[in-house]
Amino acid sequence: MRPDRRVAPWLFLAPGLVVFSVAVLLPMVLTVGFSFTEWNGFGAMTFVGLDNYVRAFHDTFLRASFLHVIVYIAATLVLEVLVGLCLAGLVSMRRGRLWFRVAIFTPVMLPMVVVAVLWAFVYNPDFGLLNGALEAMGLAGLQRIWLGDPSVALLAISVVSGWVYAGFYMMIFYAAFRQVPSDIIEAARLDGAGEWSIFRRVKVPMIRGAVGVAVLLCVTGGFQGFDLFFVMTNGGPYGSTEIPTTLLVRTVFRHADVGYGSAMAVVLTAVVVTCGLAYAQLQVRRTRGAAR
Amino acid sequence: MRTHHRGRAVIAALSVAALAVASSVSGAVAQDRTLRIAMGSPGEAGIRVWEAIGAQFEAANPGVTVDIEFMDDDLYQTIGLPQLLASPNAPDIYFEWTGSRMAQRAADGYAADLTEAVASGPLAGLLDDELFAAATLDGKIVLFPHTADVTNVLWYNVPLFAEHGLTPPTTFEELLAVCDAFVAADIIPIATGNKDLWAAGNWLSHMASRVVGEDVYDATLAAGGPFNTPEWEQAFGYIAQLREHSCVNESANAIADNEGAQLFFQGSAAMHPIGSWLVSWAIDEAPDLEFDFVNLPAMPEGSAGDQGSAIGVETGYMVNANSQVQDLAVEFLALMNSPENVKAYVAAEIVPLARSVADAGVDGRSLRLGELLAGAPAVVLPPDTGYDLEMANALYAAEAAVLGGQATPAAALAALDQQLAR
Repeated sequence: MRPDRRVAPWLFLAPGLVVFSVAVLLPMVLTVGFSFTEWNGFGAMTFVGLDNYVRAFHDTFLRASFLHVIVYIAATLVLEVLVGLCLAGLVSMRRGRLWFRVAIFTPVMLPMVVVAVLWAFVYNPDFGLLNGALEAMGLAGLQRIWLGDPSVALLAISVVSGWVYAGFYMMIFYAAFRQVPSDIIEAARLDGAGEWSIFRRVKVPMIRGAVGVAVLLCVTGGFQGFDLFFVMTNGGPYGSTEIPTTLLVRTVFRHADVGYGSAMAVVLTAVVVTCGLAYAQLQVRRTRGAAR
Repeated sequence: MRTHHRGRAVIAALSVAALAVASSVSGAVAQDRTLRIAMGSPGEAGIRVWEAIGAQFEAANPGVTVDIEFMDDDLYQTIGLPQLLASPNAPDIYFEWTGSRMAQRAADGYAADLTEAVASGPLAGLLDDELFAAATLDGKIVLFPHTADVTNVLWYNVPLFAEHGLTPPTTFEELLAVCDAFVAADIIPIATGNKDLWAAGNWLSHMASRVVGEDVYDATLAAGGPFNTPEWEQAFGYIAQLREHSCVNESANAIADNEGAQLFFQGSAAMHPIGSWLVSWAIDEAPDLEFDFVNLPAMPEGSAGDQGSAIGVETGYMVNANSQVQDLAVEFLALMNSPENVKAYVAAEIVPLARSVADAGVDGRSLRLGELLAGAPAVVLPPDTGYDLEMANALYAAEAAVLGGQATPAAALAALDQQLAR
């Protein structure tokens, strides 16, 4: 007996839908629900309406955390995407350099917690590699308490993020560069363009789509950043590396303020989704503009 | 016997809830005689002792399974224990700190009355009576004390002090002079790793309690402020003086507590303010280090607190009022405190409060720490275990800001009050 043609697709979809509903949809709905309550996660739940959102709106710590994450994203756009793009340009010029690609990509494969611990040692002001190297090079004046100085801690974490993800974006761009027709590059070369001009005026414009995806990934990924911050500075020093995710975890899991934490989670999600949609809309307009 | 070890990851906390729900199905079906025990991690050596006691208990009670949950300390202290207590397979015995946490458990209905077991039951005569003062609520003993942690003293490197002709400071003025001497000798006077804020936070809070007075300290922390008062500003002013004299490593707020301890273990720093757990830690990590301790130096004249006060907390085990095996739980607590098992704890560098500990060969420093706490004219509670955790974190952050030169005492206190008011 054959199942009804209208039912059959749903039968195939059902297992996935069930898993999606239980693992993704339900927690999201519950989080929204919790955001209207005052609840410590265990005892009685009190409905407080929009109080948590009003509190979030006036919360200077939350505002500061968003500012920090925006600075972090701006830094990672340079240290991850731009550096990745430049590395991909270099690699695509020298196609045989497999070891180079592997070396640059390797940090992506490391667990972020391992990376964070590793770099915490590098940055350690008392016996860390960085300050030691600066001293050995006669640059002791540049030594810093890297993760203890609010003026450099956020940048220090951004550098680690760049160290990890530049290789990831390099691979994206490298794959995109491989799709650029070689006859166009040859034509440019015949016209007398050097490698830098080919990179800047031919290759990069032709992988605009990949660059767009990379920027979107970097921005949304920046909002989701957590591991490096949690392990390396735990939001410090003096709150200078507190980002929404670390603040959220502290609020929910340390201060047991599930209601307010849920409201923060909803706000954070709304910001990320808005950024993503706005950027996608911008890309669509550009594509349409280019098509005309 | 089953034991569990939990990682630090927050996800683990969620797993507790998920596993608890999942296992409730099987738990409801099989009416086993399982004694469940929950605690933070006592360290590898401590875990081995607990496992051995669990095996002894199972051997003595056929048909009983001892199930011990060792959870990451931070997780246990925050959401781990409440999650477990709310689950269908809640622990029958659980570790807790005396003070507001113990009172909260009792208020939530998770504290069995142990008064009778202590008076005439299996727990009678195991501990000195005065130890139950902090474990008693409304005339009922709700916690069986096991250890007492001095949360902070000033550890010092004995040879370094001798080498520089210095004596351990007993007053704040002497402390500053010692700092100056060590700075001149290019040695870090005091090392602390305060990235997570509690390490120096407990030390500086004790200092503040000596200045503002124990009553004001307790009242302010219990009420969550206000801190921006002349007394607290005076107390924070002494923290600023520590900075002015370069008493503390520049990296203090950038490194973790274990990194701060390493500076002390390696002889790079002359002093290290931390709790009684340093003894076993230092013996493991720096067996050749000669170290000793002094209580927090007395604060200058005009300070309102008792200058002999100690900061510390008694910890122990509570029996869940909802437990179906309370009789087994009490027997297990008694077994834990048998002379043989007390010796095993001591060998694992855990110093129980049981009377038999005197015969167990405890490290002299650990014994003196116990005497310090027992003989202190006043004992103040650490902010993070004695009071609301969010308030404690805010206080620690304000102290760190002054210690790191990031804020003046007045500004830090104003910001603290503002944060607590949000």
